[in-house]
Amino acid sequence: MDIEIILKIAGIGILVAVVSQVLKQAGKEEIATLVTLSGLVIVLVMVVDLISELFNMVGNLFYLF
Amino acid sequence: MEEIFKIIGISLLTTIAVLVVKPTKPEIALVLGVAGSVIVFFYIVDLLEEVFGLFEYVMQATNLDSDIFILLIKIIGVGYITEFSANICGDSGNSAMASKILLAGKLVIFVMAIPIITSLIELIVSIMP
Repeated sequence: MDIEIILKIAGIGILVAVVSQVLKQAGKEEIATLVTLSGLVIVLVMVVDLISELFNMVGNLFYLF
Repeated sequence: MEEIFKIIGISLLTTIAVLVVKPTKPEIALVLGVAGSVIVFFYIVDLLEEVFGLFEYVMQATNLDSDIFILLIKIIGVGYITEFSANICGDSGNSAMASKILLAGKLVIFVMAIPIITSLIELIVSIMP
């Protein structure tokens, strides 16, 4: 079903938040920012596929292309 | 018929997930909102196809020239995409970008409607004595 992608993104968001918090406590500020960035990149890659599929579908459905 | 329940479930789930993730990671919450709305659109698409089937039937029944209906459907598509992205920008607080997208969408629709306006004016001129 499609909700697993929503839950996947939410899970990644929570995981990145926790990991960066732990890294901040351990004093590794720069690694925490890197973890945040990598989490955002992963999530963006997943959503970019969805958005390209959306634009193709809208293009075909509404004869826009 | 039962798709409406699925759509409501998914949108509620997305809203809750966005609220969970928003305080710590607002950017991932925005991307989550985008993903949720795209998934809801996938459910709406097959409903839309039935509506456009009605359009085709009306086109054949009245054997009007179909390019006006095609143009109408295009305008609906442009309107939908513009409103979709304007709401996403508005949600994230960037209302300046949302209004720019809305302005651009209105202009694109107006440009697409220019042939109709010119043909209407020619019709009126030809009718006048």
